[in-house]
Amino acid sequence: MTSVLSRARTLQLVGALIAAALLVTFPIWSTPWEGSRYATSILRDMLILAILALSLDLLVGSAGMPSLGHAAYFGAGAYAAAIAGQRFGSDDLLLGLGAAILVSSLLALAIGAVAVRAAGIFFLMLTLAFAQMVFAVAFQAADITGGSNGFSGVRRPMLFGLDFNGPDALFHLVAVVFLLVLLLVWRIRSSTYGRALVGLRENERRMRALGYDTTRLKLSAFVLAGAIAGVGGALQAYSIRFVSTNDVGVARSVEAFVSVLIGGASTLLGPVVGAIVVLFIERVMPSYIAFAETVLGLVFIIFVLAARQGIVGMVRVAYARARA
Amino acid sequence: MTPETAVVQALNGISFGALLFILAAGLSLIFGMMDVVNLAHGAFYMLGAYITLTVVQRTGQFWLALLLAPPLIGALGLVMEPLLLRRLRGRHLDQVLLTIGVSLVIADLVGLTWGREIRSVPFPAGLDHAISILGGDYPVYRLFVIAFGVVLAVILAIVHRRTRVGALIRAGVQDAPMLAALGVDIDRLFAVTFAIGAALAGLAGVIAAPVFGIYPGMDVDYLIYSLVVVVVGGLGTLSGAVAGSALIGPIDTFGKVLFPQFALALIFAVMALVLLLRPTGLLGRIRIAR
Amino acid sequence: MDAKNGAERRSYRLTRRKFLAASSAAAAIAACGPAATPNPSGAATVEPTASPGPALKIGQLLPFTKVYAELGNSMKRATDLYLKQKGNKLANRPVTVVYEDEANDPVVGAQKTQKFIDSDRVDLMMGIVATPIAYAVRNAIDAAKLVFIETNAGGNALTRTTTNCTPSCKSKYIFRSSFSSYQISYPIGEYFATQKGVKEVFTFVADYGFGNESAADFTSGFTKGGGKITGSLKAPLGSADFLPYVTQLKAQNTKDIYSFFSGTDAINYIKAWTQLGMTAAGYKMNGAGFLTEQDVLKEVKEQANGATTSLFWAVTLDNAENKAFVDLYQKEYSLLPDVFALQAWDGMQAVDLALQAVKGDTTNKDAFIAALENVKFKSPRGDFEFDKETHNPIQDMYIREVKVQSGQAVNTIVGKVARVTDPGK
Repeated sequence: MTSVLSRARTLQLVGALIAAALLVTFPIWSTPWEGSRYATSILRDMLILAILALSLDLLVGSAGMPSLGHAAYFGAGAYAAAIAGQRFGSDDLLLGLGAAILVSSLLALAIGAVAVRAAGIFFLMLTLAFAQMVFAVAFQAADITGGSNGFSGVRRPMLFGLDFNGPDALFHLVAVVFLLVLLLVWRIRSSTYGRALVGLRENERRMRALGYDTTRLKLSAFVLAGAIAGVGGALQAYSIRFVSTNDVGVARSVEAFVSVLIGGASTLLGPVVGAIVVLFIERVMPSYIAFAETVLGLVFIIFVLAARQGIVGMVRVAYARARA
Repeated sequence: MTPETAVVQALNGISFGALLFILAAGLSLIFGMMDVVNLAHGAFYMLGAYITLTVVQRTGQFWLALLLAPPLIGALGLVMEPLLLRRLRGRHLDQVLLTIGVSLVIADLVGLTWGREIRSVPFPAGLDHAISILGGDYPVYRLFVIAFGVVLAVILAIVHRRTRVGALIRAGVQDAPMLAALGVDIDRLFAVTFAIGAALAGLAGVIAAPVFGIYPGMDVDYLIYSLVVVVVGGLGTLSGAVAGSALIGPIDTFGKVLFPQFALALIFAVMALVLLLRPTGLLGRIRIAR
Repeated sequence: MDAKNGAERRSYRLTRRKFLAASSAAAAIAACGPAATPNPSGAATVEPTASPGPALKIGQLLPFTKVYAELGNSMKRATDLYLKQKGNKLANRPVTVVYEDEANDPVVGAQKTQKFIDSDRVDLMMGIVATPIAYAVRNAIDAAKLVFIETNAGGNALTRTTTNCTPSCKSKYIFRSSFSSYQISYPIGEYFATQKGVKEVFTFVADYGFGNESAADFTSGFTKGGGKITGSLKAPLGSADFLPYVTQLKAQNTKDIYSFFSGTDAINYIKAWTQLGMTAAGYKMNGAGFLTEQDVLKEVKEQANGATTSLFWAVTLDNAENKAFVDLYQKEYSLLPDVFALQAWDGMQAVDLALQAVKGDTTNKDAFIAALENVKFKSPRGDFEFDKETHNPIQDMYIREVKVQSGQAVNTIVGKVARVTDPGK
């Protein structure tokens, strides 16, 4: 029995490693295919949105805290990485990522301290309100952030002499970070902490009765999610070497939110799948059809009505049925 | 600011608040009466505005738009509720995703049908002049809007408190199974309520279009305004919508001319502040946790 | 409401316009005109019997959704019309245009630019309405050595030498067929002070990059000419209610107001101005040209009467090329062209002439760039040429005043500042 189980597990592990390797090296093996550069840039954007969606799922999926202002931390991370590179005149990737994590965490701490006192629709609106305030600051503080014109001159990231400037190198970086984030979120979700978050969603009262400081738990989730979002933002800044106010805007927050829901909230791969689907419809489809927004809307409607566990949930059900 | 200017700004603020109330009333009704998060509210508003555009273009009759748009959009709501929302009762996240989807579809179809130019609607004849207030011109339409907002609030209050429909709705929210057991068709009741909420959004589209303009993306902008008003005032009550718009209107108006650097985020800061001091909004009532 | 559609061309990408014509049933759109057939243009400069050269691919990045969609549609109309006039050939090369939506988002703009470079492999790129998007893709375009004609975004830095290329800087591959915000703001400032004898002005602009740049440049020009700015007010982009702002304007004494707004903001501002009786109270509306461009005037009509603005074009401009342009556009689309259409039109014409000069060879980038730099033609806006230093247009700035003529609100020319060049730094 055990040998069968461990063989299945080994196969799973090998499969995952192969998939990961294929992902990271995508630009290399896809070269013969025309338009592979473009595909690489789209996949890169999908992975970045996936990072944002994974971080948001810790709140929306695990902890049941529907945040509609998550792009604030994403954008804050982007600006932080960009500004830090400029201020210190440094290309160091660790400096940029460090600044991103620091700023987005602090911002999430400040906003979270206020927001986690609310729940449900009020929490939703508060997170939205604070995100709009962050947007306003980014827009107005033109001397620091470039304002509505955006922040150009994001430096090319370097790590221990490795230059991530070219599109391929940058993709490798994004893919590796994505996999690390995926691993991290997987560990969080399967840890006691992660299960405590789920407990929050299921029955907050009982968690409190069990002795958890639910406010502190919620706040820690908020900050953690904010920090990971900040990492995504930094990668976004490095990708196009530009940060715009769109990166802290409502549209970005909603994009992440619907990605989580479409892919399957509270699953590991759900946010990833959701990000891929949403970006595909939003960015690739419009080159070919005129009504991509309508398609996107219909996808949402159909998924809610027919596949409420999201794509991943649907796949699971189908898989279970096939196995039965 | 001179006293005369302050009076004019006060009128500006109150009329802006009235517009916000008319805009938010439908959202408040649907959330309060049915506990449904309707993020397609902005799209209904947008549709009302575009219908007004066509009616005014074709017939030159603004008041005809007022007669046509709300029922049309109400009909849309009447179809939408049973078809899409009925099975999502109580599932807020699903409602959010679904109504976002509906909003995207409506907004895109509007753009494909009417084009994506920036349009405007003139004030209706009879209300397109100015009267003299404190020695300066003031647009009559803005005064009309205040009156309209008050009348609307009164009508909604009467329906809510004094009519059978209102009582049924109130009861349905309190205890739907009991109401059903008493023989009331809950499904039809909620469908009608949603239709009324949608119609109110369409109504707002007619009334506000001459002031706020018509452009792609207006659905998102005015959905956000509606949400802020409804949340600030206290979710789910008519008086909450009144309170929210009465607060936000003047504060936004005075705030943005006195503190222009905060103009962009002013209403959000106000909302955050209100929620800090009164977590369920100004007049919100604590709900039993579900 | 939208343009009528020409015949589907196999080489065209499926666009919104075409899909709409093909499938929309309920739309109340003006009847489609007759199918367009390749029209051997009288202005052909290549022998019709020569075998056509290799296909020329142009990537056009324009907004087709979100708030600036109207501009994108207008510019597409002008582009399509220009190509139709040329039998869809430039320098004897059949042309394919790939249109992509910039969606008012620099990330999308960057991605679509990448698509033009890697996937579509365009020979040249044109478009971009929003300045942040232009700033965002400047480096990618420069690195890819892609010739790019900017047909709207007027951010000054795009064609200037700046420190650290912040927020942007010129590139030898980037040309602009539209304007720099300096050009539409500084000359009118100087003009007001020196020619019109205006002593004091109060500024009221949209609080974002373009608005602030315009206010700053106007202030420079005006104060240099001896004028005084008595105060300023700013409104956030997309403000819902302009009445409070105009109330403030009325509460101060300076009668000349200089403004920068466009689109919905301009419409709402002008309406609020009328509602409070500003003109009757002696106030004078002035601004950069977009305040009263055709997209605004068609909605506010006579409410903008008397507004004085500066722009490098007006639909009433009295020269042969403009008459031909306006007539042609009206015949094709039953619409008056706006300045955005004009910018796209001139961009195409510049490309056309440069291509002819290099006999259609776009592989030698430096030769093509030199050809563009030497382009000089009579455009509907007057004499058009690129500044060799900055690749920004050298053009006349017209001082215009809004009047109703033949039932339509238009800008009439009341003055001119000749041959305005952007300072370049």
